[in-house]
Amino acid sequence: MEPFINFLQLKKSNLVAIVFLVLVFFLSVFVPFLSPYSDDIYGAVFFENKNQFPSASHWFGTDSAGRDVFTLTVYGAMSSFKVAFGVVFLSVLFGVPVGLIAGVSSGSKTDEVLMRTADGFLAFPPLVLPIIITTVLGPSLNNVIIGIAVSWFPWYARISRSQAIIIKSSDYVMISKSLGASKFHIIKNHILPNIVNPLFIQGSIDAGYAILTAAGLSFIGLGVQPPDVEWGLLINLARSQFLNNWWVMFFPGVFMVLSVVSFNIIGDGLREYYNREWDRV
Amino acid sequence: MIRYILKKTVLMVSVLFVVVSVTFFIAHMLPGDPVSLWLGEHPTKEQIKMAQKELGFDKPKTIQFYRFIENLIKGDMGISLRTRQPVIEELGARFLATLELVTISMFFALFIGFPMAVVTVLKEGKAIDTLIRVFGYVGMSFPVFWLGMLLQIVFFGLLGWLPLQGRLSGDFSSVISTGSIFIDCILFGDWGLFFDAARHAILPVLTMTICITGIVIRTSRSALVNTMNEAYFLTYKSFGFTDFEIIKKSSYKNTLVPISTVLGLLYGMMLGGTFFIESIFDWPGLGHFGVLSITTGDFPSVIGVTIVYSTSYILINFIVDVLYFIIDPRTRI
Repeated sequence: MEPFINFLQLKKSNLVAIVFLVLVFFLSVFVPFLSPYSDDIYGAVFFENKNQFPSASHWFGTDSAGRDVFTLTVYGAMSSFKVAFGVVFLSVLFGVPVGLIAGVSSGSKTDEVLMRTADGFLAFPPLVLPIIITTVLGPSLNNVIIGIAVSWFPWYARISRSQAIIIKSSDYVMISKSLGASKFHIIKNHILPNIVNPLFIQGSIDAGYAILTAAGLSFIGLGVQPPDVEWGLLINLARSQFLNNWWVMFFPGVFMVLSVVSFNIIGDGLREYYNREWDRV
Repeated sequence: MIRYILKKTVLMVSVLFVVVSVTFFIAHMLPGDPVSLWLGEHPTKEQIKMAQKELGFDKPKTIQFYRFIENLIKGDMGISLRTRQPVIEELGARFLATLELVTISMFFALFIGFPMAVVTVLKEGKAIDTLIRVFGYVGMSFPVFWLGMLLQIVFFGLLGWLPLQGRLSGDFSSVISTGSIFIDCILFGDWGLFFDAARHAILPVLTMTICITGIVIRTSRSALVNTMNEAYFLTYKSFGFTDFEIIKKSSYKNTLVPISTVLGLLYGMMLGGTFFIESIFDWPGLGHFGVLSITTGDFPSVIGVTIVYSTSYILINFIVDVLYFIIDPRTRI
């Protein structure tokens, strides 16, 4: 708990970013119970209230089907957080073992094969692979997560590999090795604890970009599909009348920008925090 | 030098081959029935058989793949199932539209971003430093399509200064010969058309520039900070040179190395961004065509678009590698 508090105290922006994300998360969990327009989430339509300007009863206005934009936007955060968490989790799950195995056996055939394969995924321009994969698997929230993770896991393999190589050749690991430690022992006790920090930094920044990428896919109709609610999808649905009813696309975007900025701030904050810890030791 | 480039070229070609093959097999798994897309509704049995033969579907996948590679080397990517034009022609017409958009945006992003990075380093901790860094942060966090729509609302909807979308006001397709409107206009001396095209390009270019300038600022900044901590920099400083003088005289060369790496990255980002920007601004480029092809299951076009995107991406990274080699003598050892 103490490191966490230290992290929050390091900079005011760290605190603000975390509070914002936690707040949005809890709002999205409870909005189906709190909002007077909770039916809107499940596809109810009220054409008599359509395209209303933001007001006291509809904070962010209503869309072309008379649904409350505030309720939808807040609820849409859930999908984006799922994407953020899912993509980072899957990328770590596949990337880290690949990178560790390659790093421990660096210079060997195994290393060569593993890393060349991983690099193959990076040869595709960003977004091209997620787009094709989600189309082949069929557009849905889970497939968006898979599509993005497939094209991002090589970055995690690279990070873990480079860390593994650095730590592997440090003196204390050499000594441990000379005492008969197995490769598994070295990975588990020496390398893993040391790659957690860079992974946290990368994961936090990537979480934000996962949200952006997923929203982009939904925006061109290849990602999350109705009746699921997601920010990119909301903006896509608002497209036909966005010049007149700007509020329908405006607020989901604002939430998206703020979330991505928050994840970035946390990532940078973590980097600074770890560097400072390092200097103190 | 030549050996290095040769080695890199071999590597590049093999990577390209892998990318092409992966694309081929994934694209053949695209949902939708290509035969019915080709024939339209309610085909007869004979028609289906004929079409399958025509499209080569009666052969096993490996033979189809072999044929495909053979044709590809000859510069033939098959025929688009949707538009019934040769894919290579469809792509050729659109490639320059995309290239125009990407190149102009890249130019602005570099020429705005790098000086901004220098300012943040020189004025560290001052208000202007914070301002630029926030701008970079937020720019990078914008969903491209959302930003594009906001700019449309402001400059078309509210102010009415700029056109909503498209590349030209009227239909000037007969004028176009090189594919790049700007070059055509200059060649023909048609300044009216030039300004019309420029007015149409402002919003898409602005959108893309805002989104990528952040990356330029961030990476240039960290590169500058790194070089400023190096021994030679401190030595110069002890001689009484100011930070600005040292950066102007020597450090910018050192920062060129990381920046050239970023160029590759940036280019990739922009290629991704074109999917959204072109679809919002109705820009007749590759991204727009790609989205249409994917959603209709037009697999020869999907393969074509992916190949063009990946080839240019890999090519740029290849050029960056070679540049790296030229700029930084240390890599030659």
